[in-house]
Amino acid sequence: MNAIVEMKSMNKFYAAHHVLKDIDLAVTRGEVMVILGASGSGKSTLIRCVNGLEMYQTGSLVVDGYDMPVEADRKLGGERELAAIRKGVGMVFQQFGLFPHKTVLDNITIAPMRVRKKSREEAEATAMKLLDRVGLKAHAHKYPGQLSGGQQQRVAIARSLAMEPHLMLFDEPTSALDPEMVGEVLDVMRELATEGMTMMVVTHEMGFAREVADRVVYIDQGSIIEIGKPDEFFENPKNDRARSFLARVLRH
Amino acid sequence: MIATSIKWTRHNLFGKPFDVALSLLVIPGVLWIACSILDWALTTARWDIIVQSLRVLMIGVFPADQAWRAWTASAIMAATLGAGLGCVFSFKPHHGLVLALVPLLILIVDHGDPQNALSAAGIVAATSLGWVLTSYVPLSRKAMPAAAFTGFIVVVAVMAPPGVELWGGLLLSVLLTLVTSVLSLPIGILLAFGRQSRLSSLRIICTWYIEVMRSVPLILVVYWIWILMPVLAPQWGLADVARGMIGFTIFYSAYVAEYVRSGLQAVPRAQTEAARSLGISEFDINRSIVLPQALRVVVAPLVGNVLDIFNSAPLVFIIGLTDFLRAGQMILANPQYGDRTFEVLSFLLVTYFLVGSMITYAARKLEDHMATSAR
Repeated sequence: MNAIVEMKSMNKFYAAHHVLKDIDLAVTRGEVMVILGASGSGKSTLIRCVNGLEMYQTGSLVVDGYDMPVEADRKLGGERELAAIRKGVGMVFQQFGLFPHKTVLDNITIAPMRVRKKSREEAEATAMKLLDRVGLKAHAHKYPGQLSGGQQQRVAIARSLAMEPHLMLFDEPTSALDPEMVGEVLDVMRELATEGMTMMVVTHEMGFAREVADRVVYIDQGSIIEIGKPDEFFENPKNDRARSFLARVLRH
Repeated sequence: MIATSIKWTRHNLFGKPFDVALSLLVIPGVLWIACSILDWALTTARWDIIVQSLRVLMIGVFPADQAWRAWTASAIMAATLGAGLGCVFSFKPHHGLVLALVPLLILIVDHGDPQNALSAAGIVAATSLGWVLTSYVPLSRKAMPAAAFTGFIVVVAVMAPPGVELWGGLLLSVLLTLVTSVLSLPIGILLAFGRQSRLSSLRIICTWYIEVMRSVPLILVVYWIWILMPVLAPQWGLADVARGMIGFTIFYSAYVAEYVRSGLQAVPRAQTEAARSLGISEFDINRSIVLPQALRVVVAPLVGNVLDIFNSAPLVFIIGLTDFLRAGQMILANPQYGDRTFEVLSFLLVTYFLVGSMITYAARKLEDHMATSAR
């Protein structure tokens, strides 16, 4: 099986609080997986485990062929796998996370130059290509603070793509945006999906989930309740909790 | 112009009955004080003492026939400081005008004797030259760190031959402030990161150091280092000046560390997480993402710290050094000048005020500069 992410009975605790319970999940290469759930259900925590921003305590997690160390091993210095994983996994955040003291261009080139040891010319050429792709070539020399939220998020996507990731994680990428800017970011994500990028997306955009996702995962209270094709999930959810969640979010 | 100032006065000083009453009381009082001071300064005060002892005030007991060394060193430092200003804000004609006032004023007070005025003019010219260079030749800014370092070595080399123990006056105060400010910044940054380190031994040592230094008086640390250095490293034979600088640096590094730490905490966690998700190493994250943003936040307190160092410099009298304030006291100790206390102290006050204002002015420009370069 050609899985890029494989979780086996993965558990995460915050002290006594059991955040993720026995998660079994595999993401195939080229797949777009949308993760749904109420706030506080653990869906953000789940994808933050994939690039090691959150640590898990028991079970196993394999990302891109590397074993993600459990918390106990991270403290003993199991950081080499972590570095290798992060090189190949991009992430886009709700709050963009652009570096405010660097220009758009420098934001995009810093990781390829520092981590992949590319020359400045090469990194900048790639960056300009990516900016062109997200429609922001004219803004290369501006600072993030001079751009709108939607533009900043598109820069953040370009920044992740500059590392040529095998997998992209999206943590509620449109939740902090004004409604009229949601579309431009979703368009870029849609385009990425059609080009065959593997994506794990946490979102509240049900339309996007239904249209773009290959599979939809529904999480509630730290457990996976339902996995399925978007059409099946949205038309005919098998689980009661999933049904009431959909009733709540689809009402408006 | 006059109309607006009348309007301003009516609005702000005579707006309400209470304001009117307060203004009627305070304005004449302030005017009376100002007039008395001006009257004293222009008629009663005999400023010739300042002219005669200007050299002692500026360079302390540095031998008179070697004074050119001190003036050369001052000019080099002035040029470096000017070049530093040029990196932050451009030289404008009105800056030059204000600077040119200094030698002019000295010339007037000296009754046309050009000797002191020439030295001052040289120092002012050096400042302007450095300032203009970095203002209008952007390439020269890249050479600043190297130039400043070389400049410092030359200053020490020029000043050393007559004897390091003879350094004094305003020059010593400025030198002490510069060395302490420059050295305590990197040490403070390292301490701030150390205090946040994941290695508990390092964290405990840094926390302990910072807390101890912040709970004891500066004068104690300086005195202590002065006594301790010859015991710990007798083979170095460090001069009093060097020991004083070490004491100041050790003490003020702790304060810099606390300012920097508050800046580090002001950088959102999301910045670190975004950088981690890109695979950037922890060292690079701290150096290129977190530190620049942290320093931007704490420019104002850090410059305030420089001002604090300058104003604490008189404490070096405890280890027998003659700084600016002590030089003034030395002049007054001469029975011949016993009745000139007010003249000398007024001069000290005005000079301290001017230098302090200049530092604050530069700091405000630096903040503006930082704010516009990263919106």
